[in-house]
Amino acid sequence: MAQVFYFFIFPGLLFASVAGGFLSWFDRKLTARLQFRVGPPMLQPFYDFVKLLAKETIVSSEAAKSLFLMAPVFAVTGACLSCVLIFIPVFGIGNGFQGDLIVIFYLMMVPTISYIIGALASGNPLSNLGASREIKLLIGYEFSMLLVLAAIILKAGNTVSIHDIILLQQQEGAFIGSLSGVLLFIPLMMCVQAKLAFVPFDLADAETEIAGGIFLEFSGLTLALAKLAKYIMMLVLPSFVIVVLLGGFRLDGIHILWSLLKLIGLVLLITLVRNTNPRLTVGQSLRFFFIWMNLIAVVAILLAYAGL
Amino acid sequence: MSTQNVLHMVIILPVLAGMVLFLIPRQYFYTKGILACLAALINLVFSVLLFGRSSEMINICVGKELIPATSALQAVIAQAESFMMMNSDGLGRLIVLFVGLFTFVICVYSLGYLFSRTRPKHYFSWFMITAGFSNGAVMADHVLLFIFFWGILGLTLYKLVRGHNSLSASAAKKTFILIGASDGIMILGVALIWHLGYPLSMSSMSITTGNALPVAAFICLVIGAFTKAGAFPFHSWVPDYASYAPASSSAFMPASLDKLLGIYFIARLFNQMFILNEWITLVMLIVGVSTIIIGVMMALVQHNYKRLLGYHAVSQVGYMVTGFALGTPLGIAGGLFHMLNNAIYKSGLFLVAGRVERHTGRNMIEDLGGLSKVMPVTFFAAVVFSLAIAGIPPLNGFASKWLIYQGIIEFGKGEGVANQLWIVWLVLAMFGSALTLASFVKFLSGIFLGHLKDVYLTIKDNRFLLCAPQILLAALCIVFGVFAAEWVIPKIIVSVSGEFSYTGVWESATVSLMVALSIILGLLIYVLFVGKKVRIDKPFMLGEQADHRAGFPVAEFYKTISETPFLRFMYKAAEKKYFDIYEVARGAVLGVSKGLSWLHQGILPVYMIWIIAGLLIMLLIVM
Repeated sequence: MAQVFYFFIFPGLLFASVAGGFLSWFDRKLTARLQFRVGPPMLQPFYDFVKLLAKETIVSSEAAKSLFLMAPVFAVTGACLSCVLIFIPVFGIGNGFQGDLIVIFYLMMVPTISYIIGALASGNPLSNLGASREIKLLIGYEFSMLLVLAAIILKAGNTVSIHDIILLQQQEGAFIGSLSGVLLFIPLMMCVQAKLAFVPFDLADAETEIAGGIFLEFSGLTLALAKLAKYIMMLVLPSFVIVVLLGGFRLDGIHILWSLLKLIGLVLLITLVRNTNPRLTVGQSLRFFFIWMNLIAVVAILLAYAGL
Repeated sequence: MSTQNVLHMVIILPVLAGMVLFLIPRQYFYTKGILACLAALINLVFSVLLFGRSSEMINICVGKELIPATSALQAVIAQAESFMMMNSDGLGRLIVLFVGLFTFVICVYSLGYLFSRTRPKHYFSWFMITAGFSNGAVMADHVLLFIFFWGILGLTLYKLVRGHNSLSASAAKKTFILIGASDGIMILGVALIWHLGYPLSMSSMSITTGNALPVAAFICLVIGAFTKAGAFPFHSWVPDYASYAPASSSAFMPASLDKLLGIYFIARLFNQMFILNEWITLVMLIVGVSTIIIGVMMALVQHNYKRLLGYHAVSQVGYMVTGFALGTPLGIAGGLFHMLNNAIYKSGLFLVAGRVERHTGRNMIEDLGGLSKVMPVTFFAAVVFSLAIAGIPPLNGFASKWLIYQGIIEFGKGEGVANQLWIVWLVLAMFGSALTLASFVKFLSGIFLGHLKDVYLTIKDNRFLLCAPQILLAALCIVFGVFAAEWVIPKIIVSVSGEFSYTGVWESATVSLMVALSIILGLLIYVLFVGKKVRIDKPFMLGEQADHRAGFPVAEFYKTISETPFLRFMYKAAEKKYFDIYEVARGAVLGVSKGLSWLHQGILPVYMIWIIAGLLIMLLIVM
């Protein structure tokens, strides 16, 4: 029963969607302010969600219906599971269900894969194009992310347990305090940007270009669920960065404030990057990750071997 | 029944059934098939019985009692007995169990699948003989007995593909030559071991790889295992075989039985027959990860879906080789578990491919699309298999890859050269899994999603003989994934690999429960909120009239990647078959024979010059 509570209420579905919704609002508000607009009210993400629930759901006549309808459900499931597995060690819940870094890495892939499969199942040529871009982007950033992950495992002394990684950082200082940690932060943040499909890596749903791409055929409930998964990932990915590089969260006294600040700071960074860059093409993004980000990550790994 | 008798049954019964089936005329195809299925079922029962027995060494000599004790023949038999020892240990029994399972499942499928145009002659006979000899090879303890069983399997593999046109005939020939050559090299390896004076029974070999001769013997034997399993650079028969053989043959041999056998022999070689030094470990790890990456990179650009599966059959071997090369219990467990999982989903994928080919008659992804609407069962199975091979949790492919990754990370704590490079193995193995996902997105969506052509509207997906094997294998994928950590690994794998402790945590059952709950909840939401409010409409094409030809073909997805500078060069080289050991060797042999035939031009004065030149050289040597 406790497992079900963790998954659906805290730190799973309910908590993650509320927190993710607020982070998403923060991102939108900040974007608006940067563009000299007023921006949405604080509850706008939730209004969006509720309104979409009430809307008609349209399914394309070319679609493989069951797969198309289930894809957003899988996206939310994957996002929630990764959220639970990240936060349970953070909150020190002893008997919750647990997973290690590799499991979380794979679960964080699930929302993206679900979007891709949902888009392909919709039978829309533009969605196909979006899916093709998304999966190529996935190949690009996944390799950089793996290098970063390997470097973190190396720095943590060949352990993949989230709990041990947080503990080690709290005892000996966050990984970002070292030179290799600083270097790792750059590719990891770029991967987060790409995973969230924000500019400059929004080529899969480029609205001005291919009219929403992978999300083009989603509507009503399916779109609501897809958006929900995006909200949750808005919480999950920055939290993941904090856990593996920035010393994790601590929930006693003043540390609560610090933890919150870390989270908001990272979202701020993501928002700033997305508002100051143009969209890249597939080739450019692949080159960006395969050459530059991998180079940085490899240098960081070598430094980590040297103990820096 | 004694274990000895059960062992006799799993080896002799299928072979005998195969022999009997030769006698039944071709016209009675279904009679033959049903008899074969019955034999396969009985074989499966005996395999399960054998799996429940304890480990022991068994002498399979029979009929010794018939000869009088005073006869001189007794002495001969006593000598022969050492050759006839069978080792019924955990590894062997596990493989026999799965050989039994696949034989039965694919036999049932073949009954519904095969049709006269591409049906190999005496299909079911060779099929059953393969099963029997596989069991024999797995159980044999003496290397010569093993080679005997193993060699016959090369022949049956050849017999299970029919050369109905020049392409399939040349694929069959290539398979036969590569497998045959590797068997020859293996015999050389056995000869080296004999020369070194080690005992020839696998269980008591334990050769240290200190100097050149044991290493040479190891390499000879490992080439045989690699060729059978299809690891780089001895893989090139697998994609060809997969493209031209009937899908049931591909599902039976390269996808499941050859993997089980090849990896079985690798397990014996790496962990029992030889003690690997760190350089061999390094080389084996390089072979492992390069097999993963090369196989999957080639799969990514294929347009023929059976060939795509063939390259994946190569790529997945890399994971197993990597797991066994680590040599730690965690790595061995991962390799072993991955071997079983791979056999399940890969043979399942070939069954899916077979059905698609059977119903549409097309081999190319771009000719297909939208089949999910007419083949829902096959589509469901294909989704499960594809996600499993791509390693998406909580399916079985993830569970075993996760074990291998754990193994690599733990291996990294060691001191050796190979240990220190653990990051390379880890990153490449995990990246291979992302590329696998990418190529299965192509496989799934190219065949099953998108626009359905009108000619395919009449396809029916309701033949029990074809559906049941797919569903059974898909269910196995799910069960092996869901209960991986709680049941499959502790109950089945640990007894073979030895005890180990995890470094990570993967609570497969809990996560699966949550996934199941989410699916139920998702369905509920759809029923409650949406109900009848779903509207079916044409896909939105920016306000234009949607035309299904205005697509973005899935088959072209990865053109961007294959055209990047370095990869373009590599793909070009692969297209010219520079990495195909068969073509390279063929080029070398033909080159030499061309040179020789140039010398033999039949002109007398030239021969005279050769004779005189030879005389002069001999004189010089003598002086």
